[in-house]
Amino acid sequence: MCTTSTTSLLQDSKTSSTFFNKAITNMSASSPILSTISPPSSPAMSIESDFEDQDETTTTTTVQQPRKIKVMIIDDNSVNLTILSRLLNKHFADTIQLTSVQNSGLSALDQLTKDEVDLILMDIDMPVLSGVETTTAIRNNDSHSEHSILEQNMKVPIIAVTTSDAEEQRELYRQVGMADCVSKPIAIPKLRMAIEEAMKTVSTNG
Amino acid sequence: MTATSPTQSPSTAEAAINNIKGTEDPEVADKGNEVEPETDADDFDDNEIIDHTTFDQLLEMDDEEDHEFSKSLVWNYFEQAEKTFLDMDNAMEKLDFPDLSRLGHFLKGSSAALGLTKVKESCEKLQHYGNRKEAAGVESISNEEAEKLIRSLLVQMRQEYKEAESYLRVFYEDDE
Repeated sequence: MCTTSTTSLLQDSKTSSTFFNKAITNMSASSPILSTISPPSSPAMSIESDFEDQDETTTTTTVQQPRKIKVMIIDDNSVNLTILSRLLNKHFADTIQLTSVQNSGLSALDQLTKDEVDLILMDIDMPVLSGVETTTAIRNNDSHSEHSILEQNMKVPIIAVTTSDAEEQRELYRQVGMADCVSKPIAIPKLRMAIEEAMKTVSTNG
Repeated sequence: MTATSPTQSPSTAEAAINNIKGTEDPEVADKGNEVEPETDADDFDDNEIIDHTTFDQLLEMDDEEDHEFSKSLVWNYFEQAEKTFLDMDNAMEKLDFPDLSRLGHFLKGSSAALGLTKVKESCEKLQHYGNRKEAAGVESISNEEAEKLIRSLLVQMRQEYKEAESYLRVFYEDDE
Protein backbone atom coordinates (compact mmCIF):
# COMPACT_ATOMS: atom_id res chain seq x y z
CA MET A 1 0.00 0.00 0.00
CA CYS A 2 1.48 3.33 -0.96
CA THR A 3 0.20 6.84 -0.43
CA THR A 4 1.17 9.77 -2.54
CA SER A 5 0.11 13.26 -3.30
CA THR A 6 1.51 12.74 -6.79
CA THR A 7 -0.43 9.69 -7.88
CA SER A 8 0.91 9.39 -11.40
CA LEU A 9 4.43 8.73 -10.18
CA LEU A 10 3.78 5.18 -9.15
CA GLN A 11 2.09 3.94 -12.29
CA ASP A 12 5.37 2.43 -13.33
CA SER A 13 6.15 0.84 -9.95
CA LYS A 14 6.70 -2.86 -10.18
CA THR A 15 5.62 -5.30 -7.55
CA SER A 16 5.90 -8.98 -7.68
CA SER A 17 4.95 -11.84 -5.47
CA THR A 18 8.43 -13.22 -6.12
CA PHE A 19 10.03 -10.27 -4.34
CA PHE A 20 9.15 -11.66 -0.92
CA ASN A 21 10.76 -14.97 -1.75
CA LYS A 22 13.75 -13.14 -3.15
CA ALA A 23 14.00 -11.25 0.13
CA ILE A 24 14.37 -14.52 1.97
CA THR A 25 16.95 -16.06 -0.31
CA ASN A 26 18.93 -13.04 -1.43
CA MET A 27 18.86 -10.70 1.51
CA SER A 28 22.00 -11.93 3.20
CA ALA A 29 23.86 -12.10 -0.09
CA SER A 30 23.00 -8.59 -1.20
CA SER A 31 23.09 -6.79 2.07
CA PRO A 32 24.17 -8.37 5.32
CA ILE A 33 23.10 -5.36 7.38
CA LEU A 34 19.70 -4.96 5.78
CA SER A 35 18.97 -8.60 6.44
CA THR A 36 19.32 -8.22 10.19
CA ILE A 37 16.43 -5.82 10.60
CA SER A 38 13.89 -7.21 13.05
CA PRO A 39 10.79 -5.05 12.99
CA PRO A 40 8.25 -5.17 15.81
CA SER A 41 5.81 -7.30 13.90
CA SER A 42 6.69 -9.70 11.17
CA PRO A 43 4.91 -12.55 9.52
CA ALA A 44 6.02 -15.85 11.03
CA MET A 45 6.40 -19.06 9.14
CA SER A 46 5.92 -22.38 10.86
CA ILE A 47 7.88 -25.46 9.88
CA GLU A 48 6.57 -28.76 11.09
CA SER A 49 8.81 -31.74 11.34
CA ASP A 50 7.64 -35.16 12.39
CA PHE A 51 9.86 -37.37 14.46
CA GLU A 52 9.26 -41.03 14.14
CA ASP A 53 9.31 -41.92 17.78
CA GLN A 54 6.96 -43.76 19.98
CA ASP A 55 5.25 -40.57 21.14
CA GLU A 56 4.87 -39.30 17.62
CA THR A 57 5.94 -35.90 18.90
CA THR A 58 5.65 -33.04 16.42
CA THR A 59 8.07 -30.17 16.77
CA THR A 60 7.13 -26.78 15.39
CA THR A 61 9.82 -24.22 14.71
CA THR A 62 8.81 -20.61 14.11
CA VAL A 63 11.08 -18.69 11.76
CA GLN A 64 10.90 -14.90 11.87
CA GLN A 65 10.90 -13.60 8.31
CA PRO A 66 12.30 -10.07 8.03
CA ARG A 67 9.86 -7.70 6.41
CA LYS A 68 10.83 -5.00 3.96
CA ILE A 69 11.90 -1.57 5.08
CA LYS A 70 9.03 0.88 4.66
CA VAL A 71 10.34 4.00 2.96
CA MET A 72 8.95 7.49 2.43
CA ILE A 73 10.52 9.73 -0.23
CA ILE A 74 10.06 13.50 -0.35
CA ASP A 75 10.98 15.87 -3.20
CA ASP A 76 9.22 18.86 -4.76
CA ASN A 77 10.56 18.00 -8.22
CA SER A 78 8.45 15.39 -10.01
CA VAL A 79 11.36 14.26 -12.21
CA ASN A 80 13.50 13.52 -9.18
CA LEU A 81 10.66 11.76 -7.41
CA THR A 82 10.01 9.56 -10.42
CA ILE A 83 13.67 8.62 -10.73
CA LEU A 84 14.04 7.80 -7.05
CA SER A 85 10.84 5.76 -7.04
CA ARG A 86 11.98 3.76 -10.03
CA LEU A 87 15.46 3.33 -8.65
CA LEU A 88 14.17 1.93 -5.39
CA ASN A 89 11.77 -0.41 -7.15
CA LYS A 90 14.44 -1.63 -9.56
CA HIS A 91 17.48 -1.94 -7.35
CA PHE A 92 16.15 -2.30 -3.82
CA ALA A 93 12.97 -4.28 -4.36
CA ASP A 94 14.18 -7.20 -2.27
CA THR A 95 14.64 -5.14 0.87
CA ILE A 96 12.62 -1.94 0.48
CA GLN A 97 8.92 -1.26 0.18
CA LEU A 98 8.19 2.23 -1.10
CA THR A 99 5.13 3.14 0.95
CA SER A 100 4.88 6.90 0.60
CA VAL A 101 5.79 9.47 -2.05
CA GLN A 102 5.42 13.11 -1.02
CA ASN A 103 6.15 16.32 -2.92
CA SER A 104 6.37 18.64 0.06
CA GLY A 105 7.52 18.73 3.65
CA LEU A 106 4.01 19.63 4.80
CA SER A 107 2.37 16.64 3.11
CA ALA A 108 5.10 14.42 4.53
CA LEU A 109 4.45 15.63 8.07
CA ASP A 110 0.76 15.01 7.61
CA GLN A 111 1.40 11.48 6.42
CA LEU A 112 3.72 10.82 9.34
CA THR A 113 0.81 11.40 11.71
CA LYS A 114 -0.97 8.44 10.10
CA ASP A 115 1.44 5.74 8.92
CA GLU A 116 4.67 4.33 10.32
CA VAL A 117 7.77 4.29 8.16
CA ASP A 118 11.22 2.86 8.74
CA LEU A 119 13.25 5.27 6.62
CA ILE A 120 12.86 8.68 4.95
CA LEU A 121 14.75 9.89 1.89
CA MET A 122 14.36 13.65 1.80
CA ASP A 123 15.22 16.44 -0.61
CA ILE A 124 16.60 19.55 1.03
CA ASP A 125 15.67 22.58 -1.06
CA MET A 126 11.90 22.63 -1.11
CA PRO A 127 9.51 25.57 -0.92
CA VAL A 128 7.52 26.38 2.23
CA LEU A 129 9.27 23.76 4.38
CA SER A 130 12.83 22.80 3.50
CA GLY A 131 14.28 19.39 4.23
CA VAL A 132 16.07 20.79 7.26
CA GLU A 133 12.88 22.37 8.59
CA THR A 134 10.90 19.21 7.93
CA THR A 135 13.48 17.11 9.76
CA THR A 136 13.43 19.49 12.70
CA ALA A 137 9.64 19.29 12.81
CA ILE A 138 9.78 15.47 12.81
CA ARG A 139 12.31 15.34 15.62
CA ASN A 140 10.33 17.88 17.65
CA ASN A 141 6.97 16.27 16.87
CA ASP A 142 5.66 19.40 15.18
CA SER A 143 3.33 18.17 12.48
CA HIS A 144 1.93 21.66 11.76
CA SER A 145 -1.50 20.16 12.28
CA GLU A 146 -3.75 19.14 15.13
CA HIS A 147 -2.43 15.58 15.02
CA SER A 148 0.85 14.37 16.45
CA ILE A 149 3.50 12.58 14.48
CA LEU A 150 3.50 8.89 15.35
CA GLU A 151 6.05 8.15 18.02
CA GLN A 152 8.06 5.71 15.94
CA ASN A 153 8.31 8.22 13.12
CA MET A 154 9.92 10.85 15.34
CA LYS A 155 13.13 8.80 15.49
CA VAL A 156 13.05 7.38 11.99
CA PRO A 157 16.38 7.61 10.12
CA ILE A 158 16.34 10.42 7.57
CA ILE A 159 18.77 10.58 4.65
CA ALA A 160 19.15 13.82 2.72
CA VAL A 161 19.16 13.38 -1.06
CA THR A 162 20.36 16.66 -2.54
CA THR A 163 22.70 18.66 -4.75
CA SER A 164 23.42 20.85 -1.72
CA ASP A 165 26.13 18.56 -0.40
CA ALA A 166 29.01 20.79 0.67
CA GLU A 167 30.67 19.84 3.95
CA GLU A 168 29.16 22.68 5.95
CA GLN A 169 25.71 21.71 4.70
CA ARG A 170 26.30 18.06 5.63
CA GLU A 171 27.23 19.21 9.10
CA LEU A 172 23.95 21.13 9.34
CA TYR A 173 22.04 18.02 8.30
CA ARG A 174 23.76 16.04 11.04
CA GLN A 175 22.97 18.72 13.60
CA VAL A 176 19.25 18.63 12.90
CA GLY A 177 19.21 14.86 13.16
CA MET A 178 19.72 13.49 9.68
CA ALA A 179 21.62 10.23 9.40
CA ASP A 180 23.44 10.87 6.13
CA CYS A 181 23.51 12.80 2.87
CA VAL A 182 23.50 11.29 -0.63
CA SER A 183 24.40 13.57 -3.53
CA LYS A 184 22.31 13.98 -6.65
CA PRO A 185 22.57 12.52 -9.21
CA ILE A 186 22.25 9.40 -7.09
CA ALA A 187 24.94 6.74 -7.28
CA ILE A 188 23.29 3.46 -6.36
CA PRO A 189 26.22 2.04 -4.35
CA LYS A 190 26.36 5.22 -2.27
CA LEU A 191 22.64 5.14 -1.64
CA ARG A 192 22.85 1.49 -0.64
CA MET A 193 25.69 2.20 1.76
CA ALA A 194 23.86 5.16 3.29
CA ILE A 195 20.71 3.07 3.82
CA GLU A 196 22.70 0.25 5.38
CA GLU A 197 24.47 2.58 7.77
CA ALA A 198 21.25 4.34 8.73
CA MET A 199 19.41 1.07 9.40
CA LYS A 200 22.41 -0.27 11.31
CA THR A 201 21.90 2.60 13.73
CA VAL A 202 18.30 1.52 14.22
CA SER A 203 19.36 -2.06 14.91
CA THR A 204 22.00 -0.93 17.37
CA ASN A 205 19.65 1.35 19.24
CA GLY A 206 16.90 -1.28 19.33
CA MET B 1 6.07 22.48 -26.98
CA THR B 2 8.62 25.13 -27.74
CA ALA B 3 9.77 27.69 -25.23
CA THR B 4 9.71 31.29 -26.27
CA SER B 5 13.31 32.25 -26.47
CA PRO B 6 15.22 35.30 -27.58
CA THR B 7 17.08 35.30 -30.86
CA GLN B 8 20.20 33.22 -30.60
CA SER B 9 22.96 31.81 -32.76
CA PRO B 10 22.51 28.34 -34.33
CA SER B 11 23.06 25.54 -31.87
CA THR B 12 25.54 22.72 -32.26
CA ALA B 13 22.65 20.43 -33.22
CA GLU B 14 21.51 22.71 -36.02
CA ALA B 15 25.08 23.02 -37.31
CA ALA B 16 25.44 19.24 -37.38
CA ILE B 17 22.20 18.87 -39.34
CA ASN B 18 23.25 21.57 -41.80
CA ASN B 19 26.58 19.84 -42.37
CA ILE B 20 24.80 16.63 -43.21
CA LYS B 21 22.48 18.40 -45.61
CA GLY B 22 25.52 19.82 -47.37
CA THR B 23 26.87 16.35 -48.16
CA GLU B 24 23.59 14.93 -49.39
CA ASP B 25 23.92 12.58 -52.35
CA PRO B 26 23.32 14.76 -55.48
CA GLU B 27 22.00 11.77 -57.40
CA VAL B 28 19.29 11.36 -54.84
CA ALA B 29 18.61 15.05 -54.94
CA ASP B 30 18.37 15.04 -58.72
CA LYS B 31 15.76 12.35 -58.56
CA GLY B 32 13.68 14.82 -56.66
CA ASN B 33 13.21 12.50 -53.71
CA GLU B 34 12.52 14.62 -50.69
CA VAL B 35 14.55 12.47 -48.39
CA GLU B 36 15.17 13.96 -45.01
CA PRO B 37 18.86 13.80 -44.16
CA GLU B 38 19.24 11.15 -41.54
CA THR B 39 20.64 12.29 -38.29
CA ASP B 40 21.41 10.10 -35.37
CA ALA B 41 22.72 10.72 -31.92
CA ASP B 42 26.28 9.93 -33.04
CA ASP B 43 26.31 13.11 -35.11
CA PHE B 44 26.26 15.17 -31.96
CA ASP B 45 29.39 16.03 -30.10
CA ASP B 46 27.71 15.08 -26.89
CA ASN B 47 30.72 15.09 -24.62
CA GLU B 48 29.55 18.20 -22.85
CA ILE B 49 25.82 17.90 -23.39
CA ILE B 50 25.21 14.60 -21.64
CA ASP B 51 26.98 12.91 -18.77
CA HIS B 52 26.61 9.36 -19.99
CA THR B 53 27.39 7.82 -16.64
CA THR B 54 24.24 9.41 -15.27
CA PHE B 55 22.13 9.04 -18.39
CA ASP B 56 23.08 5.40 -18.85
CA GLN B 57 22.02 4.70 -15.29
CA LEU B 58 18.65 6.14 -16.23
CA LEU B 59 18.44 3.92 -19.32
CA GLU B 60 19.25 0.90 -17.17
CA MET B 61 16.01 1.53 -15.32
CA ASP B 62 14.06 0.94 -18.53
CA ASP B 63 12.53 -2.41 -19.25
CA GLU B 64 14.65 -4.47 -21.62
CA GLU B 65 12.19 -4.19 -24.46
CA ASP B 66 11.88 -0.43 -24.72
CA HIS B 67 12.81 2.98 -23.34
CA GLU B 68 9.28 3.86 -22.33
CA PHE B 69 10.16 4.86 -18.80
CA SER B 70 13.19 7.03 -19.55
CA LYS B 71 11.50 8.61 -22.55
CA SER B 72 8.43 9.59 -20.56
CA LEU B 73 10.71 10.99 -17.87
CA VAL B 74 12.69 13.03 -20.39
CA TRP B 75 9.54 14.36 -21.98
CA ASN B 76 8.30 15.28 -18.51
CA TYR B 77 11.59 17.14 -18.04
CA PHE B 78 11.01 19.03 -21.29
CA GLU B 79 7.65 20.26 -20.02
CA GLN B 80 9.15 21.16 -16.67
CA ALA B 81 12.05 23.04 -18.24
CA GLU B 82 9.82 24.99 -20.63
CA LYS B 83 7.59 26.10 -17.79
CA THR B 84 10.57 26.96 -15.61
CA PHE B 85 12.10 29.11 -18.34
CA LEU B 86 8.84 31.05 -18.60
CA ASP B 87 8.84 31.50 -14.83
CA MET B 88 12.43 32.71 -15.06
CA ASP B 89 11.44 35.29 -17.67
CA ASN B 90 8.64 36.52 -15.44
CA ALA B 91 10.96 36.72 -12.45
CA MET B 92 13.54 38.58 -14.54
CA GLU B 93 10.97 41.19 -15.56
CA LYS B 94 10.33 41.87 -11.91
CA LEU B 95 14.02 41.53 -11.00
CA ASP B 96 12.93 38.99 -8.39
CA PHE B 97 16.38 37.65 -7.59
CA PRO B 98 15.34 35.22 -4.84
CA ASP B 99 12.82 33.64 -7.17
CA LEU B 100 15.41 33.39 -9.92
CA SER B 101 17.74 31.65 -7.50
CA ARG B 102 15.02 29.24 -6.45
CA LEU B 103 14.11 28.47 -10.06
CA GLY B 104 17.75 27.88 -10.90
CA HIS B 105 18.10 25.42 -8.08
CA PHE B 106 14.85 23.69 -8.99
CA LEU B 107 15.86 23.04 -12.59
CA LYS B 108 19.41 22.15 -11.53
CA GLY B 109 18.13 19.12 -9.67
CA SER B 110 16.27 17.51 -12.55
CA SER B 111 18.93 18.52 -15.08
CA ALA B 112 21.54 16.83 -12.92
CA ALA B 113 19.38 13.75 -12.53
CA LEU B 114 19.25 13.33 -16.32
CA GLY B 115 22.94 14.06 -16.78
CA LEU B 116 22.45 17.35 -18.65
CA THR B 117 25.81 18.76 -17.65
CA LYS B 118 25.83 22.21 -19.21
CA VAL B 119 22.25 23.02 -18.26
CA LYS B 120 22.94 21.92 -14.71
CA GLU B 121 26.04 24.10 -14.46
CA SER B 122 24.20 27.13 -15.78
CA CYS B 123 21.36 26.52 -13.35
CA GLU B 124 23.88 26.51 -10.53
CA LYS B 125 25.26 29.85 -11.71
CA LEU B 126 21.74 31.26 -11.81
CA GLN B 127 21.23 30.02 -8.28
CA HIS B 128 24.31 31.97 -7.17
CA TYR B 129 23.63 35.10 -9.22
CA GLY B 130 20.11 35.20 -7.80
CA ASN B 131 21.68 35.21 -4.36
CA ARG B 132 23.86 38.13 -5.46
CA LYS B 133 26.97 35.97 -5.52
CA GLU B 134 29.45 35.35 -8.30
CA ALA B 135 29.47 32.07 -10.23
CA ALA B 136 31.23 30.07 -7.53
CA GLY B 137 28.81 31.33 -4.92
CA VAL B 138 31.43 32.90 -2.69
CA GLU B 139 31.97 36.59 -3.42
CA SER B 140 29.09 39.04 -3.32
CA ILE B 141 28.05 41.06 -6.37
CA SER B 142 25.82 44.07 -6.78
CA ASN B 143 22.25 44.01 -8.01
CA GLU B 144 23.38 45.62 -11.27
CA GLU B 145 26.05 43.00 -11.82
CA ALA B 146 23.60 40.24 -10.96
CA GLU B 147 21.04 41.57 -13.40
CA LYS B 148 23.57 41.78 -16.21
CA LEU B 149 24.94 38.32 -15.55
CA ILE B 150 21.50 36.76 -15.30
CA ARG B 151 20.25 38.29 -18.54
CA SER B 152 23.21 36.86 -20.39
CA LEU B 153 22.94 33.54 -18.59
CA LEU B 154 19.27 33.04 -19.44
CA VAL B 155 20.10 33.28 -23.15
CA GLN B 156 22.99 30.87 -22.74
CA MET B 157 20.91 28.47 -20.66
CA ARG B 158 18.16 28.27 -23.25
CA GLN B 159 20.73 27.53 -25.94
CA GLU B 160 22.25 24.78 -23.85
CA TYR B 161 18.82 23.38 -23.14
CA LYS B 162 17.97 23.37 -26.85
CA GLU B 163 21.16 21.45 -27.56
CA ALA B 164 20.26 18.88 -24.94
CA GLU B 165 16.66 18.70 -26.11
CA SER B 166 17.74 18.16 -29.73
CA TYR B 167 20.16 15.45 -28.72
CA LEU B 168 17.60 13.62 -26.63
CA ARG B 169 14.83 13.86 -29.23
CA VAL B 170 17.18 12.41 -31.85
CA PHE B 171 18.30 9.72 -29.42
CA TYR B 172 14.77 8.53 -28.83
CA GLU B 173 13.82 8.82 -32.48
CA ASP B 174 16.75 6.57 -33.34
CA ASP B 175 15.41 4.10 -30.84
CA GLU B 176 12.00 3.82 -32.48
